[in-house]
Amino acid sequence: MGTAISNMLGAGEGNESEHSGVTKLSSSAQWQLHFNGMKDSNQLLVIDFSASWCGPCKSFEPAVRHMAVKFTDVSFVKVDVDELPEVAKEFDVTAMPTFVLMKNGKEVDRIVGAKQDELENKVTKHRGGQ
Amino acid sequence: MAVSGFEGFEKRLELRFSTTNNNPMGLRLIDFESLDQVLNEVQCTVVSAVANHSFDAYVLSESSLFVYPTKIIIKTCGTTQLLKSIRPFIHLARTLSLTLRACRYSRGSFIFPKAQPFPYTSFKDEVVIVEESLPNSLRYRKASVMTPSNNNNNPSRAWHVFTASADVEPDEPLVVVEVCMTELDRVNARSFFRRKGDGKNSDSAGKEMTRLSGIDMINANAFICDFAFDPCGYSMNGVDGDRYSTIHVTPEDGFSYASFECGLSLYDDGHGDISEVLTRAIDVFRPGCVSVATTYGGEDYSHEVTKRVERMLAKKLGLTCRSRLVDEFPGSGTVVFQSFTPRRQYSSPEGGEQ
Repeated sequence: MGTAISNMLGAGEGNESEHSGVTKLSSSAQWQLHFNGMKDSNQLLVIDFSASWCGPCKSFEPAVRHMAVKFTDVSFVKVDVDELPEVAKEFDVTAMPTFVLMKNGKEVDRIVGAKQDELENKVTKHRGGQ
Repeated sequence: MAVSGFEGFEKRLELRFSTTNNNPMGLRLIDFESLDQVLNEVQCTVVSAVANHSFDAYVLSESSLFVYPTKIIIKTCGTTQLLKSIRPFIHLARTLSLTLRACRYSRGSFIFPKAQPFPYTSFKDEVVIVEESLPNSLRYRKASVMTPSNNNNNPSRAWHVFTASADVEPDEPLVVVEVCMTELDRVNARSFFRRKGDGKNSDSAGKEMTRLSGIDMINANAFICDFAFDPCGYSMNGVDGDRYSTIHVTPEDGFSYASFECGLSLYDDGHGDISEVLTRAIDVFRPGCVSVATTYGGEDYSHEVTKRVERMLAKKLGLTCRSRLVDEFPGSGTVVFQSFTPRRQYSSPEGGEQ
């Protein structure tokens, strides 16, 4: 229930770590705001690069939402590669979905493809303070 | 041979569409829930997936699904009901203003034919079902069972093909190669068993199998989406620009099987020469028996390529071509079916008398 509401609210609504769910960043401004805000943070940021037409991404959405609800100490954001192509290019995204894990402004891991076990494994590994 | 076991041999369906709208995404716009429902009918599910700018690739519980803007390829093994997907796919495509213009159904010979449900107990029945599901506009049709006559004791594995097309001229520029391997080398097959307490999950175990087996070197350019089944078994889809490849492995002794399939061009365009790619793929498994079915869609069939493949498999892997059959399918092109076994035939404990 919480995830449905947070998806409706969209991006940039206050402190993302307060509600569980995947936050969609739809504009360059929203992206910059969120990303810069996390640069000095120890909190794990998971960026889900996908596209509106991407079947494999859609097949994986329930699993990602479930993880976002489960790991409330992790920030999950979603970036559409057509809406924010420059960000997709910056992160060298060529296949989808691609999940980039960031901590303190640095990439710590990435998963390409809808790989449930792998994503869960890596989020668990990186989420603790390290 | 075992009395019963998992059926590795796949049934393969390819549907090609023409578009009356201008959306470049075509079939990729079919929403996932609808695709999932079709897969449900076929009795399989998605276990892993990836997309790039050209197509969507799904690894299924029983093989693979590829969705291009105007083409669907679905390949399923075990006792799946593949042909149940034809009508729903045609219907979904129609909602996107896409019209079916060609269909191809192909398979090898089952290791456990009696374990198959109707209509897969007989190719004649399968053809009836496919024909009933297709619109009359696909008026160029042909069904053929390509049966090698062989002089050794290996079970004669035939290649079954049914094609239907709206045009008599083939339209697919790529060549499709379907390789079926049985009696896998036991040591090589061991790579595809999960090790107890390996601390891995299906994705990371799959990745390790890809690396250790050498599958990642078949086409070094391809991104590989792999998956390891428990307690054994492996599947992968390779994605390289608009080129797909797929491998499925049933490693158990007694009914071991591996398939390799890819779409490629006859001209070396940086993606790898057909005979080199085939050699590398077959070398991963060192099988006791291999068949290669090549469909030359739009290309003028070149006998030279067929001979080159035979020469390279003989030279690099000691495989002798025991049979070569060629047939023409209106709207689909030329199909060449080659069967190979090792030059030196050893008596195989699992294969019965030699």
